[in-house]
Amino acid sequence: MSTMELDFAIHKTLRSGQRRFTLDVDARVSGQRIVLLGPSGAGKSVTLKAIAGLMAPDAGHIRLNGQTLFDAASRIDLAAQQRNVAYVFQDYALFPHLNVRQNVGFGLKRGWFNPGAGQAQAEVDYWLDAFGLAAMAHQLPAELSGGQRQRTALARALVAKPSALLLDEPFSALDEALRETMRDELDALQKRLRIPMVLITHDPADAARFGDVVLHLRDGKVVCRTLGRCEEAAP
Amino acid sequence: MLRPALACALLAITAHAGAADLLVSAASSLTNAFNELGSSYEAAHPGTKVLLNYGASGALLQQISKGAPADVLATADQETMDQAAAQKLIDPSGRRDFVKNTLVVVSPLDGRIALRQLSDLTRLGRVAIGAPASVPVGRYAKKALEEAGLWTAVSPKAITTQNVRQSLDYVARGEVDAAFVYATDAAQFKDKVHLAFTVPLATAVRYPVAPVQASAHAMEARRFIDYLRSPAGQAILGRYGFTQP
Amino acid sequence: MNGPAAIALLLSLKVALAATCINLVLGVGAGFILARSRFIGRDVLDSLLTLPMVMPPTVLGYYLLVLLGRRSALGAWLQDSFGFSFIFTWQGAAIAAAVVGFPLVFKPARAAFESVDGQLEQAARVLGVSGFSLFFRVTLPLAWRGILAGLLLAFARAMGEFGATLMVAGSIPGKTQTLSIAVYEAVQAGQDSLANELVVLTSAVCVAVLLIAGRLAPGRINGARP
Repeated sequence: MSTMELDFAIHKTLRSGQRRFTLDVDARVSGQRIVLLGPSGAGKSVTLKAIAGLMAPDAGHIRLNGQTLFDAASRIDLAAQQRNVAYVFQDYALFPHLNVRQNVGFGLKRGWFNPGAGQAQAEVDYWLDAFGLAAMAHQLPAELSGGQRQRTALARALVAKPSALLLDEPFSALDEALRETMRDELDALQKRLRIPMVLITHDPADAARFGDVVLHLRDGKVVCRTLGRCEEAAP
Repeated sequence: MLRPALACALLAITAHAGAADLLVSAASSLTNAFNELGSSYEAAHPGTKVLLNYGASGALLQQISKGAPADVLATADQETMDQAAAQKLIDPSGRRDFVKNTLVVVSPLDGRIALRQLSDLTRLGRVAIGAPASVPVGRYAKKALEEAGLWTAVSPKAITTQNVRQSLDYVARGEVDAAFVYATDAAQFKDKVHLAFTVPLATAVRYPVAPVQASAHAMEARRFIDYLRSPAGQAILGRYGFTQP
Repeated sequence: MNGPAAIALLLSLKVALAATCINLVLGVGAGFILARSRFIGRDVLDSLLTLPMVMPPTVLGYYLLVLLGRRSALGAWLQDSFGFSFIFTWQGAAIAAAVVGFPLVFKPARAAFESVDGQLEQAARVLGVSGFSLFFRVTLPLAWRGILAGLLLAFARAMGEFGATLMVAGSIPGKTQTLSIAVYEAVQAGQDSLANELVVLTSAVCVAVLLIAGRLAPGRINGARP
């Protein structure tokens, strides 16, 4: 399966001191690659976190490929670890005390102990080779370049065979020159693996490249949706 | 012309300060008695302030030996005062015995074992005794037990305390089954502890007092010591259970 | 080193180690709970838990005596059921030292846990690791330096504990007379040379502990940034 059915209605009020932000989005989309586009503060990250199970909405529902991940009315709220989605953070959130191999293999190991520093594992080795990380498998995240870190984060996310890949501004931490290269890589990777992905960004170039369906978010609401090529929505 | 006036003023101030404070270091068992004695002495001698410093006799000796500015030392046993004399800390010509006390054994109010004599202590679990190295009541207790041939039997049960009040507190709380204290302290605490029996001692418990050698108020110190031995002073001490020396 | 000094040293080490182990569980646990949960009165609870650091040890000793003594509910139950009392035992001394040192572990532990990036814990959750696994694999490895600093302070504090210990455990040579109490009694009895020997011994042990700690966890412990 590579086409994803995503059906969500998320209502959430966030308070920070005096400021209040209300997220009120709903959409039913299907596609292989879904993009949430909008300026910063529009609510993209909150939406993605809700889908991942890292934040519980006040009301609404989230259904992925027919499975209910969250439903306020029926009191269903699957924990993040049970949703079988992968999440790549904006600054990658690599575990600083584990090397590349251990980071990538992290989700495969259950229990109270991390994978060993030199322990070989078939799936981990596969992904290290696929991303060209084998040479630096023993290095710590602090010793890697931006592009290497992103690949490590992606490998870590993919190794557990998730049903969907959620990406939070995957290219914003990279400089311009690197961004185009990484877009090509992600594009090729997604096409090869056929894993459905939801990507959030403020960069229209990302939406242009990856948006089978593009949802435009502004101030916590979906203001328009486009298929295929994206036109900048009227402000 | 100003200078003689200034000198006179300074002299007056220091002379006044000199007459004001008398620091008396006294054994803990004298606490309540000396509090009253201090106030009545101040009333009888206006302009003098009596400052009281209490502790185990051994601790008081250490303080003076290290330079504490006490004027009078009153201990609970002869041995501590002998040590003070040996270290030349007191003026031996002013040393006097001023009260007598009795050693008793007390037990918790809800204690189940009847205690009538020293040998009954061997049936108990814990007995509070002052540290013999520095606390006179502990020395007396040890001497009494040695005289009765019971020291080896009782010393494993001993909980050493730093002063009589600590021993009394443990008995009041039921943490120990008995304690060696002074009759005067037992009287003070009579609604919290039960007085079991008086401990026989070969030599009586006599408290000595002496002026401290390094004191700057030698005359005042001797006057205070005389007051302790006067009928007025003895009457106050008698009220707290002390007897004449 | 003579006999009584060696006995007092071993006793001090035993008590300090036990007290630090108690705080390893309680102090770190409390630090974690207060770092991660949000409830009304959290700051009040934090202040209450920090109180032992500012209270005079003799006051703490008094409270412990009231709470653990034979007349208390807990003490009476222990006495009746097991014939055991904390008072006048090295276990009581360990509790006194643990109470006194608790804030020294709790506060750095809380700060250490708060400094762990929440996103890392979120990442672990999405990857399927949560609960105790998450704590031991991600949170603790990133917080352990700060926690260790607190534990060492608490150990040194326990080595030197005096006021509360004296009230709760008394001063029984070989059973509860720790190094610091032995120093006090030696001074009281005018045994200056013994007192000096004990003081030098206590100081040497504490300096050694802190030096070893500096080796184990360089950087943050000594104040410099890693």
